[in-house]
Amino acid sequence: MCKRILSAIVIIALFSAVLGGCQDANEIDAVVRVLVIGIDKGVTDKWRLTVQFSSMKETPGGGGGEEGGSTGGGTGNGYSHVTIDAPSFFEGIDMLGSSISRKLFFTHAGTIIISERLAREGILGDFIAPLIRYKQIRESAQLYVVKGEAMDFIVENQPTIGNTLSKSLELAAKQPDNTGYTISVTLNDFYSALKSTHGQPIMAIAAVNDFKNFKRDGPRWKNEFKKGGEYKPEDLPRHGENKIEFWGTAVFNRDKMVDELTGGENRLLLMARNEFKRGFFTIRDPKSPDRIIAMDVLKDKNPKIKISFDEDGPVIDITIFLKGDILSIQSRIHYEEDPLLSTLVTALEKDIKDDLDRLINKCKNQGLDVFRFGESAAKYFATIEEWEKYYWNDKFKDAKINTKVDFSMRRTGTRLRSSPIPRLKGEE
Amino acid sequence: MTMEEGKFGVQEAVSLVATAISFKVFFTSPSLAADLVGNNIWYMTLISASTAILGFTFIYLLLRRFPDQDITAIFSETLGKPIGFICSAFLCLYLFYAASSSITEFTEVMRDYIYLLTPSSIIIGIFVVAVMTLCLLGLESIARLARFLIFPMLFGVLLVLVLGFKNFHINRLFPILGHGTLKTLTNGITRSSAYGEIVILAVVAPSLQGIAFVKKAGYTSLILSGLFISMLLLTFALTYPYYVAREITSLMYGMATLIDYGRFLQRVEPLFLFVWFLSPLIGISGVFYCFISVYCKMFKISDSRPIVVGSSIVLFAVCLFQSDLGAIASATIQSIRNFGWIPAFALPILALVIGGLRKKGTKYHV
Repeated sequence: MCKRILSAIVIIALFSAVLGGCQDANEIDAVVRVLVIGIDKGVTDKWRLTVQFSSMKETPGGGGGEEGGSTGGGTGNGYSHVTIDAPSFFEGIDMLGSSISRKLFFTHAGTIIISERLAREGILGDFIAPLIRYKQIRESAQLYVVKGEAMDFIVENQPTIGNTLSKSLELAAKQPDNTGYTISVTLNDFYSALKSTHGQPIMAIAAVNDFKNFKRDGPRWKNEFKKGGEYKPEDLPRHGENKIEFWGTAVFNRDKMVDELTGGENRLLLMARNEFKRGFFTIRDPKSPDRIIAMDVLKDKNPKIKISFDEDGPVIDITIFLKGDILSIQSRIHYEEDPLLSTLVTALEKDIKDDLDRLINKCKNQGLDVFRFGESAAKYFATIEEWEKYYWNDKFKDAKINTKVDFSMRRTGTRLRSSPIPRLKGEE
Repeated sequence: MTMEEGKFGVQEAVSLVATAISFKVFFTSPSLAADLVGNNIWYMTLISASTAILGFTFIYLLLRRFPDQDITAIFSETLGKPIGFICSAFLCLYLFYAASSSITEFTEVMRDYIYLLTPSSIIIGIFVVAVMTLCLLGLESIARLARFLIFPMLFGVLLVLVLGFKNFHINRLFPILGHGTLKTLTNGITRSSAYGEIVILAVVAPSLQGIAFVKKAGYTSLILSGLFISMLLLTFALTYPYYVAREITSLMYGMATLIDYGRFLQRVEPLFLFVWFLSPLIGISGVFYCFISVYCKMFKISDSRPIVVGSSIVLFAVCLFQSDLGAIASATIQSIRNFGWIPAFALPILALVIGGLRKKGTKYHV
C-alpha cells in the first residue's frame, strides 16, 4: 500500500514537472496581444504590416491620436501601433521583434484592415492566403477594406467610448444588426467566397472621415431630401471626436476590388442575402412630397428565391419580406389606417424595390453575384461537375431577375393616429 | 495459457468500440473524404457504415461457429496454424499501424491548433504513457472508462454542434450528389475501413458474455457510430462549402472556432478540447490493447504487462518517425482507409469460408 502511494506521488510529481513547464505556457505580460492587423502594399518591400496592440500602460484618459511621435509607431489611449515593410507577413512579425521587446501574439487579433489600393490591384489572394493558414489568427476575425491606407486608419483607431479598443471593435462588428449600413465579413466568409463558384466576395468598408464633408457654414437646409444611405464611405457629413467609420461594402471580382456600395445599397444587399435585421428608413411622403416619413423596418421572414433556367440564362425571382413600425409622419396626415396605410405601404415597397433593382442591375452588368443567388441555383444541379461546368459567375450577367418586396405595417408607434397642428386664422 | 482480460457488458463494449470508430472524425479524415466525394460526405459515411455492418455480419457468423474463442484462435483453427499465424500477424500489424498513425495524427493536429510550440516528442510521450497505463490496467478498465466518459463526451460534441448552428447554410449541401453517385458509392464502400475498429469485438469476444452480446454490441456500435459520424459530417458540410472543407485540417475544431455569439459567448473551443483529448485516448487505448492481445495470443504469452511496456516504447519510437502531418494525412491515414477493410473484414470472411469448407466449428451455438 505504502509502495503504491509512493509510486503515485512520484508519478504526479513527474507529470507536474513536465506538464507545468509546458512549452506553450506564456506569462501574461511576456507577450503582446495584437488586436488589429493592418495590411498595405509596401514601398521598400511587398508587405507594409501595421499591428496595433495594448501598450499595457494605464490609460491616460481622454484625447486621441499619436503620442509616441515616431513615424513607425505611436501610443495613445493605452494602445500602440507599429508599422514595418517586410517581404512576408511572417518575416514582418519577426522583424517587428527588433523593436518590440515582447513576442507578438495574434490569437486576439479580431480585426484585419486591408488598404483599398491593395484590394484594387487584384493581388489580395496573395495576402489572404498566409492569414487563413496562420495558426494564431482566428477565422472569425472581421475583415475590412479601408479607404486610404490601413496604417493611417490604425493611427486614428482609438476607443472614444470607454477604454477598451477590442470591445469597441467587436461592437462595431455587430452594427450591421442595428443599422444595416455596413456588413460583417469574417476572414472565413471572405476566403470561402474567394474560392466560390457560386458568387463573388465582398468586404465591409472602413474609412477615416476627416470631417471635410461637414459644412459649418453655407445655405441652410430647405426642403431637399436625401436618404442617409446615399452617402459614400468617408463622406458622411459628420463631426466629432471619432474619425473612423464603417460604412458600405467593397465588391470584388475574385480577389480584385471592382466597386463599392453605399450604406443604403448595403442594406438592400443584406436583404437579398438574408442578413438584414433592421434599420430606420426614410421615404418621401406620398401625399406631401416635400416632407418625409420615417419607419423602423425589420426583416419579417427569409427571402423567397426561385430560380429557373431558360435558353438565355437563369431566371431569378426574389421576394423580400419586411415588416415595420411608423416612426414619424412630418405631414401629420393620418396614414395609420386604410386607405392611406396601403398607400404608404405601397410607396415603401416601391421605394425599396426600385433601389434593389438598381443595385441588382449595377452588379449584374459587371457579372458580380454578391447576392448568394448562385448558392440557391446549385440546388438545380445534380453533381458538382455539372454545376462547375455551368460557370454561374459568367451566366449571372445574362440572368433575368424579378424582384418583389412584401411589406407589412405592424405598429404605429406610440401614436395611434396623426392629426394636424391647429393653425391660427390666416396662417398656412 | 490464456490472458485474463476481464468481463464487461454490452454498454461498455458499445462505448469502447463506438469511441474507437468515431474519434477519427475530429481529425483529418473528413477533409480527405470531402476531397474525394465533395459535399455529400454525410451520406457517404452511411454507405460505409452499411458496408461495415455487412462485414460485421460475417465476423459474427464466424464467432458464432467458434463460441468463446477469439479471432486469433479462430484463424489458427480454420486456416491452419502457419497461415492462421500469418493472418493474426497481419491483423496485429494493422492494429499497431492504426494506433501509431492515430497518435501521430492527434499530435500533429494538436501542434497545429493548441500546442503550437510544444515538441511532438512531449505530446507523443505523454499520450503513450497514458495509453500504456490504461493498457496495464486492462481491457475491462478501458471499457468501463469508455462507458463512464461517453455521455460527457457526447454532451461536449452536441454542445458545439448546437452552438455552431448559426453558421449552417442549407444551400451548401447542393449539388446533392457531390462528385457523382459512382464516386460516392465506391468511396463509401472502400472507406468502410473507417469502421474497421469493430474488429476489436472479434479480438475480445471471450470478454463479452456470449455470442448474443457480441452481436448486440457489434450492430449497436456500428449503427450508433454511423449515425453520429453522419451527423457530424452533415454539420461540417453545412458549415463549410466543399471547396473549403477539403483544405481544413480539423473541420470540427475549425467549426468550434467559428462560434461567436457576441462578447460573452465566443472562443468556446476549450469545451471541445475535452472531447478532443479523451476520445482518442480511449479509442487508441482500445486498439493498442487489441494489438497487445493478438500479439500475446499469437505467441501464447499469458502475462501481457512486459509486452505492454515494451510495445509502448516501440509505439513511441514509431510515432516519432512519422512526424509530418501532410504525409500522415495523404499516405498513412488514406492507406488505412483504402486497405483497412482487408484485415478488418476480408480476413474474417476468408476464415469463415475456409472454416466452412473444412467443416470447422459448431453450426450454431449460443
